[in-house]
Amino acid sequence: MAECLHQWTMTNVQFGFVVFEKCFHCNSLGTYFSVEDTPILGDKYREGDCYWSRVENAQSFRFDLECPLCGRRENFHELMGLMHCPGCPADCGVDAIRRKYEAERTWVLVAFGFIYKDKRGPLPQEKVDILTDYFNQRRDTTRSRIKIVSFDLIKDLSVCRGDFIHDVGMLSQEPVTERKPLF
Amino acid sequence: MTTKDLIDKVGLRPLSTFEHRDVNGVFVSDMLSDVMAGAKSGNLWLTVQTHKSIVPAANLVDVAAIVVTGGKDVPQETVDLASKYNIAILVSDLPTFELVGKLYALGSFAR
Repeated sequence: MAECLHQWTMTNVQFGFVVFEKCFHCNSLGTYFSVEDTPILGDKYREGDCYWSRVENAQSFRFDLECPLCGRRENFHELMGLMHCPGCPADCGVDAIRRKYEAERTWVLVAFGFIYKDKRGPLPQEKVDILTDYFNQRRDTTRSRIKIVSFDLIKDLSVCRGDFIHDVGMLSQEPVTERKPLF
Repeated sequence: MTTKDLIDKVGLRPLSTFEHRDVNGVFVSDMLSDVMAGAKSGNLWLTVQTHKSIVPAANLVDVAAIVVTGGKDVPQETVDLASKYNIAILVSDLPTFELVGKLYALGSFAR
């Protein structure tokens, strides 16, 4: 039997929040997805030596992709979000790929997994490739294409100027220039 | 219906540089997550958001144009980013509700 040429559709969409926490003891960062109605900023708790405090919430969603041709379904619960790379001056792997692909009208976005104590969670390459396929299958690829790459390519998160496609700092009437960096 | 037709018929003001393209429907939302989950390639996206993050979201889902309603000012960095990605940013002085009414009356966006 021939291998299925998957045609992905988005399903099981759940709206919620990506919560950003910081430990004020060791300064570690952690993120997770929450379906709470209203995550409360400043909420604090202790976990071992860490004193976590919620520092930011971003309205977001999680989803599965399903191929109706073969019934295969992949959940993307490890995916924190997608980031637009504006092109940092640093020697970052993402920027090198971005420059190469943009010349071909292929726009590069970075898939981020969740973070726990500054450690990047796993985001299998196969899932990153499925995301690329999904976003290209639903667009007019004669005009441009999308390339999703893994956040493992980012050399140093602390100098990354990337912009998450998240609903942070967009729902109030404060000037848009005041949107805070997430890292 | 193309972006050029809509600019002429509904009185939209183009801000970015872009190539005109077909429009196949309308999606109204001020949330990026909503757009990423629900907008379709070729849709017109109506919003009051003007932060530059609307551009990568629009690009990701391949909308035909972002229409900023209510005559809001759009920061130059948003316009420049849209031009870089060949994304139309159009401005309407009408509030979202009135613009939706005009677009609906055109009758070309039946699902």
